[in-house]
Amino acid sequence: MKILTTLMVLMMVSSTHALAQQQGHLDVTTSVQKEEVTVDESGQSETKLVEANTVVPGDRVIYTITFRNTSEETAENVVITNPIAESLTYVAGSAFGPGAIIEFSVDGGQTYALAEELTVTEDGETRSAHPGDFTHIRWAMQNELAAGAQGTARFAAVLD
Amino acid sequence: METLAPVPESCHQPGRAVRSALFCYRLHDDLGLKLDKHPTITDTGNRGLPLAAALAVIGLFGAMPVLAAGTPAGTLIENTATVSFDLAGTPISLQSNTTTITVVERIDVVVTLQSSQLLVSPSAVDQAVLFRVTNTGNGNETFSLLIDSTLVGDDFDPVPAVPAIYFDSDGSGDFNVGDLAYDPGVNDPVLTADASVDVFLVNDIPGTALNGQVGFTQLTATSTTGTGVPGTSYAGLGDGGVDAIIGTTQGEAAAVGEYLVSNVELSFVKTQAVADPFGGTEPVPGATITYTVTVEVTSAGIASASALSDPIPVYTTYVPDSIRLNAAAISDGADADAGELDTSGAPTVVVRLGDLTQADGIQTVVFQVTID
Repeated sequence: MKILTTLMVLMMVSSTHALAQQQGHLDVTTSVQKEEVTVDESGQSETKLVEANTVVPGDRVIYTITFRNTSEETAENVVITNPIAESLTYVAGSAFGPGAIIEFSVDGGQTYALAEELTVTEDGETRSAHPGDFTHIRWAMQNELAAGAQGTARFAAVLD
Repeated sequence: METLAPVPESCHQPGRAVRSALFCYRLHDDLGLKLDKHPTITDTGNRGLPLAAALAVIGLFGAMPVLAAGTPAGTLIENTATVSFDLAGTPISLQSNTTTITVVERIDVVVTLQSSQLLVSPSAVDQAVLFRVTNTGNGNETFSLLIDSTLVGDDFDPVPAVPAIYFDSDGSGDFNVGDLAYDPGVNDPVLTADASVDVFLVNDIPGTALNGQVGFTQLTATSTTGTGVPGTSYAGLGDGGVDAIIGTTQGEAAAVGEYLVSNVELSFVKTQAVADPFGGTEPVPGATITYTVTVEVTSAGIASASALSDPIPVYTTYVPDSIRLNAAAISDGADADAGELDTSGAPTVVVRLGDLTQADGIQTVVFQVTID
């Protein structure tokens, strides 16, 4: 009986280890906040970031993606991809990510390019892409992510 | 027999009328249809796929959400990031948690005046001014309507008719017998996002109003969910039970229409000259009668769209091509010029004088008949 219990504990440990491997030793978390502007008695307005559970058209929301290397090894070629929801319009210039080349897609994530290089063909005419055309954002980290290190990617969008 | 009527210009608004179960809304875009129940749309960010599917579901209800006023209340916006990397030479791809935010209802309304300043006479009844109430929020909203004709800043107070508020049910832009009266709390207009309804305020003009005086009448539309400073929240009172938040219009809007008393005084004189076939002036068969009608505005104001309508007397026959306006020939046919011989009923000389003021001076219309 005692042996059996020990075996079960061993099995649990090994399965937890397998799960961790499966998860890939990188934690990635997204959170979303919105800007809330308050005006005090003297008329000074203050913009605060608050948790965004509910939004109304015109609200500006900020998505933050944090990733941490929980493994013992160095992660290479770290790339974060985030779709921009249909009812959101990306705020030009808002994407942020230290050490990352930030590119955008206008074709549902199939191809990516720098914002100023993207074009859209509409009614047979090709024009420069607008932030409203962007469907995805991609952050390609130029540096390795050492064991235990953490990175951040962020962008803002306005609810249509 | 002559009639000369200054016709107040009324507002004709283009617009497409669609009849609903309650009454007729005038819709000003092709999408402003009514959703009884707002379906939930989940926006996962995979542009083009799930939302298109959601729209297809809405299509089954025979309506489309109007996105111009903003993302519909009740929409869920989900976000999941993906991270890919190489660990010890092995490519790995992971997904983050999914965040979900709910689009709540924003209550906003706009009222716009559609009529130009309405020219009225003292004691005129049922003078209608047209307004448009537009739901500029992102959900279905019900609005109550209120008239106020006792505003400050004008010269007289118009007197609201009973009832005083009507829907432009037939979408004509003109107040007429088919238009449905507004009954507060009974047929408050229910508008989808971006939809609008045209509303008349109907007032009588007091007999004491003087020429040149102005009277104001105001339409206020108020969300029945609530009003307040922007950001005021009504928990659970939005479409599908989401919260409702008061937008920048504070859930209430108003517009003011104007009446201008234009009691135009007109002088008009008709004379006749007979020429008989024998060089005399006897009204015998074969004699020609030349009628001369002069019209003049003798007060301030505008006689809008004035028209002279003068039937040919019995036992006489109109002399073809004899109509003159200020000595210029007017053809008999109904064409682009200012008049004609209207033969749709009893032959009648019709001359349109347009908008006349004192500055236009005397207008002279001449035509001839022969005695049978």
